[in-house]
Amino acid sequence: MYKLLLLLLMSVIYMMMYALQTDEEVALHTLFQGKHALNRAVHAAAQQSDSMKLAAGIHAIDEGKAQEAALRYLQTNLKLNGVNDPLPGSFLRSRVDVILFKIVNDQEVFPYQYTNAEQEFTVTLERPGVIMLIRLEYPRTYSVLQPITWTIRSSAEMVF
Amino acid sequence: MKQILVFILFAAMLVWFMFSPVYKHVLIVRQAFLQKEVDYLLEIGMNGEHGYIDGGMIRESKERMAQHGFVSADLVYSVSTTSGVSGTDRNQPVVRGNGVILKITYPYHRLFVIDRLIGINVPEETDRMGAVGMKMSEYVP
Repeated sequence: MYKLLLLLLMSVIYMMMYALQTDEEVALHTLFQGKHALNRAVHAAAQQSDSMKLAAGIHAIDEGKAQEAALRYLQTNLKLNGVNDPLPGSFLRSRVDVILFKIVNDQEVFPYQYTNAEQEFTVTLERPGVIMLIRLEYPRTYSVLQPITWTIRSSAEMVF
Repeated sequence: MKQILVFILFAAMLVWFMFSPVYKHVLIVRQAFLQKEVDYLLEIGMNGEHGYIDGGMIRESKERMAQHGFVSADLVYSVSTTSGVSGTDRNQPVVRGNGVILKITYPYHRLFVIDRLIGINVPEETDRMGAVGMKMSEYVP
């Protein structure tokens, strides 16, 4: 009889271990996907040059277009709607918060160092660029894993 | 008799627990490979020298995927752009400021056979998993 009990106990433990392992693995892929989406968003934002200033020989970022491009690329890559809520078919289940969207434009002195002590994030830009931080919550499948929320940080410079 | 029954039960459970999660792992890894391939093709295709993802690049990508156990004939690549050009023509590259959306899909095949046997509601064999990405081109003519 005790063997049957042992069997039950073993299967419960195995199931929990597998659930934990699967969730951890998927979590890591989700983090990568979030990071890549953010990388593409800041990259797209940083390429929005201001054509008026470019005509005068100054490389600068068009701030309105940059913000629009960043959100569009983030939303397409993570399958979000206009207010960053997940669309049906998206893997995520909660809203993605944009914590910071900062454009370092041509008025600054380069190299420009941006430090965010709260997020322990430092970046040095040699050219005008965009810095963006988002908060992403992982939709865990099994409750074995503790809730995970990442703050993903990224920046990009203009390419010219 | 009881001993033998218990042994068979134990052995069956052990085999089940060893092999059933492997299928989930295959699914996760396939999805990850698709996503990495999308990331790679976008990274290469949208850099300053290319601005396109043409048939040759897709063929090479299929060869790479075949090395990881994918059936290359079942991989479907779809490229679309925000500017309206096809994005697959090397003579008409996507210029900087426009984005390219690449989507690779692959059928689930027989990954869920065991789950279907025990009555879990799962996708059909012909349903497709996929990975998608959108990146802005850096190509300047």
